[in-house]
Amino acid sequence: MEEPVDTATAILASAAVLLRERSFDDISYRALADEVGISERTIYRQYPTRAHLLAALSNWIEQTRFPLPPFVTVSDFCAAVHERFRAFDASPAYAFVGARASAISPTLGTEPAYITRAIEAMLDVAAPTLNRRDRRRVAASLRYFASAMFWARLRTSFDLDADEICDAFDRAVGTVLARLPDATWAKP
Amino acid sequence: MGEAVTGPALSGTQKAILAAYTELIEELGSDDVSYRVIARRAGIAERTVFRNYPTRVDLLLATAAWIEATLFTREESHSIFDIPLAIRGAMQRYDARPELAHVVAETAMRGVNGAAPSPGREQLERLLDAEVPSLDAAQRRTVVAALSHLDSAGTWVTFRREFGMDQRDIADAAAWAAESVLDSIRDRVTP
Repeated sequence: MEEPVDTATAILASAAVLLRERSFDDISYRALADEVGISERTIYRQYPTRAHLLAALSNWIEQTRFPLPPFVTVSDFCAAVHERFRAFDASPAYAFVGARASAISPTLGTEPAYITRAIEAMLDVAAPTLNRRDRRRVAASLRYFASAMFWARLRTSFDLDADEICDAFDRAVGTVLARLPDATWAKP
Repeated sequence: MGEAVTGPALSGTQKAILAAYTELIEELGSDDVSYRVIARRAGIAERTVFRNYPTRVDLLLATAAWIEATLFTREESHSIFDIPLAIRGAMQRYDARPELAHVVAETAMRGVNGAAPSPGREQLERLLDAEVPSLDAAQRRTVVAALSHLDSAGTWVTFRREFGMDQRDIADAAAWAAESVLDSIRDRVTP
């Protein structure tokens, strides 16, 4: 990983280091300030509330640790999500932060995640004549099954490992896509 | 952390604290509410709040569980094929109280090991075993996992945030996704 270039990023990098030994709730601004070697005040200036810090930390982890491979077809999409779930499984503390951050009330204007736009673009190509309502319902379902929340729930509540989570994901995606009439799929 | 939050174990004082905090979350958001303000609203001493909920995390976990148990309750489903309807209703209730739905969604993702246990799981397993007992273990697990994932505040948050959906569209899309999951087992029902 490259060296942090600015204070805001340095704070996030240090928070990520602390996440290896404690949960997000147990990282105080005090401890974080000591870790970065700056004053607590400076952290408050960058991240006025813990929700701001959580959202920024999650974004940063997402970009540096869990980059999403590009996908065009449905099978590329499933492969990309599998890769992501395996990466989550290898760094659960980071993935849990992502799951949690995606549930908080938005602290800033949020825009749809890259994966959401990529899913919509994929459907436009794969099923060009799909009506708008179905397209949106399918996109929303695929997005939600591809989320860190899905991974977190299956790992913790159902005690599944990465392979089993990928399998559950494939089946869930399969049932959703099976509802679309054959005629809406682009012919190869 | 976070144990004994629902059920008969809750004392009158605890209920008053959780109800007061819930009101304040809707008025002010979950970040800005001090123990002092909660105590004043509940009509008790600040000390009493600390004695019952030593940390903010304790308080938040207990409050989220209380909100789910009292404000976002599901009607009893008698068939696994009723679940999409129950999900539709739950999404409408989340949408009517967005601040509280965010608190419930986030809290579900901050259990000790990440996510909290899936609340409706046992009921789903019971219904499925009664109506569609022929499923193999992997199929059964997939259906239960997908339905309990869809029947959560996380669905509401994701659909709203990522797709800008309104109440009708969220309820529709979540119920539709649950119907898709059930389509795969419709022809397996035991007569």
